[in-house]
Amino acid sequence: MEYTRRSVLTALGLGAVAAATGCSASSGGNSQAAADGPVEGEITLLTPLFEGSSGKQLLEGKLLPAFQQKNPKVTVKVDYTNYSALNEKLTTSLAGGLMPDVVMLGVGWIPPFAHKKVLAPLPDDLAKRYEYEDRVLEPSRFDGKLYALPMVLDTRIVTYRKDMFAEAGIKAPPKDWAELRAMSKELARADSSGKLTRVGFDPFSIDLRQCWETFLFANDGNLFDESGQQVKFDDDRGVEALQLLLDVIKDKSADYSFKSSAGQPSTLQQGRAAMMMANNSLWVQLQQQTPELLKDDKVGAFILANKVPAMLQGGTMVSRSASTKHPAAAQALVEFMGTPESILPTAQQRGSVPGVQNLRTSEYVKENGFVKLALDNMSKARSEGGTAAWMEIREKVKTTLETAVVGQKSAKEAIDDLANLSKEAISRL
Amino acid sequence: MARRARAGRAALYLALIAISLVMIVPFVWMLLTSVKTPGDIAAVPPRLLPTHWAFGNYVDALRAAPFATYARNSFVIAASHTLLNVVIASMAGYALARLRFRGSSLIFLGFVGALMIPTYTKILPEFLIVRFMPLFGGNDILGQGGTGWLDTWWALIIPGAVSPFSVFLFRQFYLDLPVELEEAARLDGLGEFGIYARIMTPLVKPAFITVALLTFEGSWNNFLWPLLVTKSDSLRVIQVGLSVFRTENDTQWAFLMAGTTLATVPMVVLFLIGQRYFVQGFANAGIK
Repeated sequence: MEYTRRSVLTALGLGAVAAATGCSASSGGNSQAAADGPVEGEITLLTPLFEGSSGKQLLEGKLLPAFQQKNPKVTVKVDYTNYSALNEKLTTSLAGGLMPDVVMLGVGWIPPFAHKKVLAPLPDDLAKRYEYEDRVLEPSRFDGKLYALPMVLDTRIVTYRKDMFAEAGIKAPPKDWAELRAMSKELARADSSGKLTRVGFDPFSIDLRQCWETFLFANDGNLFDESGQQVKFDDDRGVEALQLLLDVIKDKSADYSFKSSAGQPSTLQQGRAAMMMANNSLWVQLQQQTPELLKDDKVGAFILANKVPAMLQGGTMVSRSASTKHPAAAQALVEFMGTPESILPTAQQRGSVPGVQNLRTSEYVKENGFVKLALDNMSKARSEGGTAAWMEIREKVKTTLETAVVGQKSAKEAIDDLANLSKEAISRL
Repeated sequence: MARRARAGRAALYLALIAISLVMIVPFVWMLLTSVKTPGDIAAVPPRLLPTHWAFGNYVDALRAAPFATYARNSFVIAASHTLLNVVIASMAGYALARLRFRGSSLIFLGFVGALMIPTYTKILPEFLIVRFMPLFGGNDILGQGGTGWLDTWWALIIPGAVSPFSVFLFRQFYLDLPVELEEAARLDGLGEFGIYARIMTPLVKPAFITVALLTFEGSWNNFLWPLLVTKSDSLRVIQVGLSVFRTENDTQWAFLMAGTTLATVPMVVLFLIGQRYFVQGFANAGIK
């Protein structure tokens, strides 16, 4: 078993959080505080969404002043972090009994934290304020209650080079995995020694966990049952999803070493991949690094499909702490952050998909091809998580699946390993 | 024979040049990337030299966040850690090496054992100690009711002030000194602190330089602990500040490399000043 900074902290944090929440329950703490009372006081906001320099300018220069204009008796103290340290920030804050009043969390994070009773449920009316796709609100709910409002989404789609497709005489993107595999073979190129110079398909430049989940969902599979108590991904659909990644390597139309690192020009931009799994934010990267590819209309995107079309939906939601001393002020900030006026510039500064459908007609969405594709296909979006044990499981998905990708284990063995450790994590709830 | 020696020396120099190049290439790459435009950074195949030298990246990077504040904070923390570590750890190392007292072996074993505890397993307990520090940050005598040392200089400085490795290193150095020196000083009427400060410590200068450099470097580069225990921008450090250039969906490589270059400069300067002692320190510690 591999011990990482996060797994160690998560394991330690689980005990401490359980102790902290246990104490608050036994002492009759206000774990389900209602959001009544005056909208005033100093509240803290923990956010992994505005950590960049332009994000800080947006939050402090535009969004928070607008919020404070509407709520002059509320002051907001911002604690910036990034996603790689968000879990540590939350774990230590919870263990220390100092949960931020308003917190932004990722998709899949609501059930674990709502289960621990550290988040307060929100009025269900908020789910009807704007036009939301059901799929978008799904990760905000736990146990039938709404715990968060969606802000921005990040979807995983398949991007491709139109010029390479045309050169190979391919007219349309693949409709299922058989076509995907055949096209990948056709589009791959090797030098005279047989060494790959271009992969037909690069599934590895996004996180392996998110890549496999996209394939699982496109194979009509599920991670867990609706209660979050039963593992569902260990059936044929989950194994086939991982096997497909091994098959394209075996076909010599994909290569694990071709993956590009975050921020680096992607293999698609470099011309080293004809198709590539990507986050919709790749559009902004294309604009900044290789605008000629967009200008010459050389890049396209489609939704991965096999038994069903599916795209993985990640993203950030905003939620209120159950232990805040200023519930009305905290809820006011949650509501404000969930408005289209806050969401649109936030999505724009990150190249993300706005969480409300009302923004489909905005200039930003119209001009960003990948965001538009994602919003047009939100009904096909699927989210990771779905169990209260997700924070523990998610850290282990990538390392467990990697054992198959590097040839140490078969797809079935890796999925069985993942299923076993997931069941153990769920049994500890 | 002389020819063989010359050939051997030439081979040695060649090997050293090759190793030096391997070590220096990442720094050269960082420097060159810091003055490239986004187009140059994304060029395929990658270009070594920029087509347009964008020195303005440094100005833009410095404008993106209050780096002067971050650098000041990092310096205050690193300097405090260094000072506290060399003073306290050297005293502890001296006591463990030269004083005979009941339980000294056990205490030394405790320090050696502490070396084996992974850093990340200590973060949560340390955080809780800081959070529940009595009579600070609005806490009562039982550590309840306030925020303790969180978001204060105390949290940034005290928990990382003394490391077991430094105590271990100092002990090894003090062990090596001849007992005659200590006895002569004692006969001359010098007290224990005088022997430590005036006789023994000047003889273990490499240990002080080694510990000082390692402490300063570790403290200067620390990211997670300062992020966890602070909320206010005014208390954040340079490594946390650099993260503004790397977000989930975008990395501003040119600015990140410009900022990293500036953050690396103090460490390079310190190493250049103290490298002779630094190498000597490790060589001495290694032959124990």
